[in-house]
Amino acid sequence: MGTETIYIEDAYKHRQANEELGKLFTSWGYLPVETPVFDFFDIYQEFIPVEKDIYRLIDREGDLLMLRSDITLFLAKQMGLSLKDTDLPVRVCYSGTILRHQNREDISKNEFFQTGVELIGKEGKNADLEILMLLHSTFKSLEIKPIVHIGSRKLLDASISDFKEFDKKEILNMISYRDFEKLKNMLVKNVDKKRVNFLIDLFQFIGNKEELNTFIKSSGGLINSRESTALNDLINIMDSLTQLGAGNSFIIDLSEVGNQPYYTGIVFQGYIEGVDSAVVSGGRYDDLLGEFGFPAPSVGFSLLLRKIEDQLGKKFSLPDQENITDQDFISGFKKAEKIRKDGRIAIL
Amino acid sequence: MSLNSSEPLSLALPKGRLMEDVSNFFEQKGLNFSFDNRKLVSYDKSGRLKIFLVKNSDLPTYVNHGIAGLGICGSDVLYESGYKFFNLMTFEFGGTSMCIAGMKGHKKNDNERKLSVATKFTKFTSDYFHKQGIPVEIIKLNGSVELAPVLGLTPYIVDLVETGSTLKANNLEVLEKLEDIKVHLIVNPAYYKLHYKSIKKIVSILQKK
Repeated sequence: MGTETIYIEDAYKHRQANEELGKLFTSWGYLPVETPVFDFFDIYQEFIPVEKDIYRLIDREGDLLMLRSDITLFLAKQMGLSLKDTDLPVRVCYSGTILRHQNREDISKNEFFQTGVELIGKEGKNADLEILMLLHSTFKSLEIKPIVHIGSRKLLDASISDFKEFDKKEILNMISYRDFEKLKNMLVKNVDKKRVNFLIDLFQFIGNKEELNTFIKSSGGLINSRESTALNDLINIMDSLTQLGAGNSFIIDLSEVGNQPYYTGIVFQGYIEGVDSAVVSGGRYDDLLGEFGFPAPSVGFSLLLRKIEDQLGKKFSLPDQENITDQDFISGFKKAEKIRKDGRIAIL
Repeated sequence: MSLNSSEPLSLALPKGRLMEDVSNFFEQKGLNFSFDNRKLVSYDKSGRLKIFLVKNSDLPTYVNHGIAGLGICGSDVLYESGYKFFNLMTFEFGGTSMCIAGMKGHKKNDNERKLSVATKFTKFTSDYFHKQGIPVEIIKLNGSVELAPVLGLTPYIVDLVETGSTLKANNLEVLEKLEDIKVHLIVNPAYYKLHYKSIKKIVSILQKK
């Protein structure tokens, strides 16, 4: 499956990076799984943010199918069907292509390579930290320095819990695209003005934990208790990340509410200089597997590997190659073996 | 793009009708820049901005691909591009309206089974009428759209109307205003996440009364 052609040097880089990550994930106890490339559309329909971005097809019986658009989603169904309580927690990793329509002229741009991990059956801060630190190690082993913006779906759910009528997908969209003018116009119908202004400031917030603490203090009594719990959870996570020496890779960004409808806890996206969109996204989704018959709290991330391959250094590039010109095969062969031992390429 | 905060932010500006308004507005806020003869890249005098001059309709493409982080563009062009950006502010200058127009005195007669429209703005036009459940035939033109009813290509056009003088000169009139068009400062979302501090500073300079 796929529409993109990757040529020699790039294909090598891609494979090296993918193998490096596979080794890293395995050393943390995350073992590989494969998901189907297509499945029945109706199973996933309610979890798809934008339906027209999905490639759909009709099988011979007339059933509507979809091509894999998100590995986490396909994995959740698979896990939901096959896991037992005694299996938990489960740590899995995956890498494969996904297809989403991106409104571009070239169809090969609609394909992405997603590689990632899921920690299934473990809730709470420690599991969140494990995933965030594994992400940090992922950056280290790829020798890249993205910055990860962490927000909280739990915070959003706390903020909108007393709204009467609203379209959650629309709110998610407005906040993640930082369309606060539109959000304000919508909120004034639901809540009093003071609280509207507070919510607008809240979801605009980007900064470190000191800055968040200052914001919380200055907001008076406008924070409800569920919001306060969600914010404290974030601050605690940031504290631990700093203690673990990873503080510089993370920043609190409350407009990160997650582009997938299934998130329930922390949500994050990572950005890197020179790349035009987020390279990694993830978060906690405690209710998704339950939708497929097996409730289990989960957290994970997925990296769009192709987006960062231009940024990868020499460690991932094709080694130098040398042509052996000896007429005598035996002496040439011996020379070649020596060169290969040094990690270079020898061509007979 | 670079992590160094002293690096200037990149901003794409549209060639054409908006350019004068934009440079006057920036000058009022103390952000001076000018383009040497035929050059398409310049810096503002404070060194905060690296400015590219691009074709209006290509501007969203440059920002979407992160070639320019920021851009100033009308909502008409943004809508046609289909790309999504963060909207940082809406300017007071450059506003206009998207209208449907036809020949003066033209009465829509019942024999017209479908609405036939010539326009540059095909995405806007089809979405607008589809939302209302009105079947529409759209003919794409790249300029001088007001010729379509005059020459008999289509009875109607959808186009930007500022003063209405072009319509008048061609014996056309506005039948209905479809939407207000505003000029926005937009940013590539990933670029915002990496440079939000310096971007906030620029926005506050531009918003200062």
